[in-house]
Amino acid sequence: MISDLSTAGAMPVLEKMFLFSGQRQRLIAQNIANIDTPNYQGVDADPRAFQRALSDAVERRHAKNGGVSGELDLSSSSEVRMVGNRMEIIPTTPIEGVLFQDRNQRDLEQLMQDMVENASMFRVAGDLMRKNQSMIRSAIAQRVV
Amino acid sequence: MYGSLDISTSGMIAQRTRMQVIAANLANMNTVQNTKGEYDPYLRRAAMLEPAGHPDAPQGVRVAAIDIQEGALRKKLMPGSKFADAEGYVMAPDIDPTTEWVNGLQASRAYEANVAAAETMKSMVAQALRLLA
Repeated sequence: MISDLSTAGAMPVLEKMFLFSGQRQRLIAQNIANIDTPNYQGVDADPRAFQRALSDAVERRHAKNGGVSGELDLSSSSEVRMVGNRMEIIPTTPIEGVLFQDRNQRDLEQLMQDMVENASMFRVAGDLMRKNQSMIRSAIAQRVV
Repeated sequence: MYGSLDISTSGMIAQRTRMQVIAANLANMNTVQNTKGEYDPYLRRAAMLEPAGHPDAPQGVRVAAIDIQEGALRKKLMPGSKFADAEGYVMAPDIDPTTEWVNGLQASRAYEANVAAAETMKSMVAQALRLLA
């Protein structure tokens, strides 16, 4: 019953989103840090592919429990691997964009856009999780008082 | 998560080092002797950057070496100089201020991009901490 508090509804999905965008920020920061490094090929993880994997996991959970509570199984994704409760992103090197004279594929605008999108994904997941928590907290407060 | 702050910091350090090298090049544009007063023209330097860490575990960027460009000299007419040859020429550093200036501009923009990434990271960490409150 108590454990259901953290696995009910959208909470596990939000948690995975939160972990993913936190990890992806590392890759984006890496690309920005290496913006002038010759021969550097950018690394990234596709958020769309991750979200597809996430929605598949939600479908699987629904098929298993017939409801909306329970753990999410996200171990079989091509974008991330779960090590216990920790998420590790699997970076890929997208071959696209303009190749500069120093064989670097810098694209500052794209990087900044990715960073802003990623940060807002992080913010949305965080805000929703906080909302959920405050709902639980006020429910508990109603009982006690 | 603090790791990506380290990555942005490594980027800032690398760009600052690059800027120092550019400043040294510009400052020594006309240097033809060393501290002992011997003929030893300053050679143009360039910071060589390389990614740090493995692609699977990114750790930012680092300055691999400060490359000294051998033979980056050009003939300059300095008839009064004690190092001048019979025609009054001295081999002086071949440093083009325009090139250095453009490189400096690039370094300062890249530095700004790293600052922006660090700021984003800071606000993300602040949001994550607010979850606990």
